[in-house]
Amino acid sequence: MSYAIEINDLYKQYKGAAAPAVDHLSLKVKKNSITGFLGPNGAGKTTSINIMCGLLQPDEGTVQLLGRDVVKDTQAVRSIIGVVPQQIALFPHLTARENLQYLGNMYDLNNRILKERIDQYLNLFGLDKHADKRIIHYSGGMKRRANIIASLLHDPQLLILDEPTAGVDIHSRALIIDFILAYKQQGKTILYTSHLLEEAEKVCDEVIIIDEGKLVTEGTTESLVKETDDCHNLEDVFLHYTGKVLRD
Amino acid sequence: MKKIAATIKKEWILLRRDISGMLLLLLMPAILIVVMAMVQDAPFKSYQDLRFDLLLANDDQGTLSADIIDGLRHSKNFMVIDSLAGKPLTDEQLRASLKKGDYKIGIIIPKGATAEIVNLNNIIANNISAKIGLGTALPTRNTRDSMYIKIYFDPVTQPTFRAMIHAGLDKYINYASSSMLIKCLSRLGKTDADTSEASNEDLKKVFTGLGVKEEAVNDNGKEVLHINSVQHNVPAWAIFGMFFIVVPLASHLLREREEGSALRLCLIPNSQMALALGRIIFYTMVCTTQFAIMVCLGIWLMPLLRLPALTLGAHAWVLLPIAICISFAATAFGTFIGSVFVSANQALPFGSIIIVILSAIGGIWVPVEVLPETMQHLANISPLHWSLAAVNEIILRDGNFQDVIKYLIILLLFGITLWLLSVYRNKTRIQSLQ
Repeated sequence: MSYAIEINDLYKQYKGAAAPAVDHLSLKVKKNSITGFLGPNGAGKTTSINIMCGLLQPDEGTVQLLGRDVVKDTQAVRSIIGVVPQQIALFPHLTARENLQYLGNMYDLNNRILKERIDQYLNLFGLDKHADKRIIHYSGGMKRRANIIASLLHDPQLLILDEPTAGVDIHSRALIIDFILAYKQQGKTILYTSHLLEEAEKVCDEVIIIDEGKLVTEGTTESLVKETDDCHNLEDVFLHYTGKVLRD
Repeated sequence: MKKIAATIKKEWILLRRDISGMLLLLLMPAILIVVMAMVQDAPFKSYQDLRFDLLLANDDQGTLSADIIDGLRHSKNFMVIDSLAGKPLTDEQLRASLKKGDYKIGIIIPKGATAEIVNLNNIIANNISAKIGLGTALPTRNTRDSMYIKIYFDPVTQPTFRAMIHAGLDKYINYASSSMLIKCLSRLGKTDADTSEASNEDLKKVFTGLGVKEEAVNDNGKEVLHINSVQHNVPAWAIFGMFFIVVPLASHLLREREEGSALRLCLIPNSQMALALGRIIFYTMVCTTQFAIMVCLGIWLMPLLRLPALTLGAHAWVLLPIAICISFAATAFGTFIGSVFVSANQALPFGSIIIVILSAIGGIWVPVEVLPETMQHLANISPLHWSLAAVNEIILRDGNFQDVIKYLIILLLFGITLWLLSVYRNKTRIQSLQ
């Protein structure tokens, strides 16, 4: 079995922090799957993803994405992964098309291929009629969709989505979920974080739940629900393992 | 190359859409240039070019006072006022007018001044007569010590102004005195003394010919222009405007970090150096264009405002590499400020205040030469001073490329250092998805 993500004994503690953000975390994500990476606030999800993208150096442990070490081969890893940040990481005073053209050029994509992909994705995400409108004038859902397109231009094998449906309307959410499912059909791997567990249950093949920087449980939604006492859905499983204490 | 070109295009689109940023880059220095050139026009003018009202109370009514008044009236510097409401000006009226600040200069020619100068000239003439053996003598009496032509100034007048007026009046008194001495000598030598207008005109020519005329020369002995308000203010405030790019550029960089687009670019492989290069090239081009526009204003707008036109010297093309080096230094400075600070609230006040301070000590507001010695040494730490010194070398001293190489090297080193520090800071900055 080959894995898209292999994290081995990952450890990271920020300067001045009382506890590690990631505490000897080990996990594997299968290729061509949709995996939910879940956990309460402060569980270590974002730190783990930052390390996966090469934005942060781990104190200990290794991370391999599609067989490449993120620390030793950061640039190569970045060329095969797509990251959709929760924040709208676009230039608000450029139009969607200008944003995508610029970012595609920064990926050094061929002009013809880039134009085809931009048209294809703008159409797929329902933004073709608004392509020449500045991002600052987009609605929240439109911004979120444009944000996803920007991460797809270089055709990444592994797509990491951080709360891709946070704060969007029902139609946009449905479109995004349909896209995630369709993207997997193209042989891609998707790692997906969300606080919307019902959505995760519907979309994900497997889920990984972490808390306090450690792996709590992993498996398919069905198996986790079956194996955990008095649990009827993913939300019950999540609360069972992470407790009901408020996290800030 | 494609990434650099894409970044330049992106920055151009963003700048084009940032109206306030464009105004800050173009309108602000243009307004500063016009306002400062007009405000500083008079202080920069040589006193020789100005005309002053001069109050004159003539208590003498003799030949000496007539010659002095005639000389002053023919001067381009003085407008002689010797009567008020049709009546001759009295000593009291003169002092009162100066005290009120209505006029800046007044002179009183005392009663008996002509008689005194005639007596002095007779003494001199008798001495000369004795030495050359003419054997004739003119009547003389004892000299009076207290006979002065009195000069009064408005208390607010500057010492340099007073010195210039003193020198000017001395010239006319000497002329009048010498004219009378020649008449005395003529009377000693022959009975039909030559007192014709022609001989007086000859004397005037002698005085004019002996006058001092201030000129600036370059190494080749070619006459060049003196500094004036336009020659100082146009390049000075253009350079200030170029360095003021620190504010919009730092703000732009911080906004990109806050908005998340910087994170997006960080996630693109091998994009950071291309991004940094594209940005520095674009803003260097913007600043160079800004400088060119300001120079055009100096050449064509200033004369429309009754100010002298900016002249660029014999090697005007050298201004292009100078402008590019200044632009690079200014852009690198802006990039540095935008990279080391974490918020616009910190960066923008710091950026604008530091540019104002560096411009003040760098000779932008007033030429470094008029600053105290300590400040002149301090000016050497200001990149605006290096920039202005390079431009002045070309437009004031008629210098060539070799004369400005040292300034260009300093500006480039300054820019490269700050730019590399910015690139390093951005590379080591911890970016996060949230």
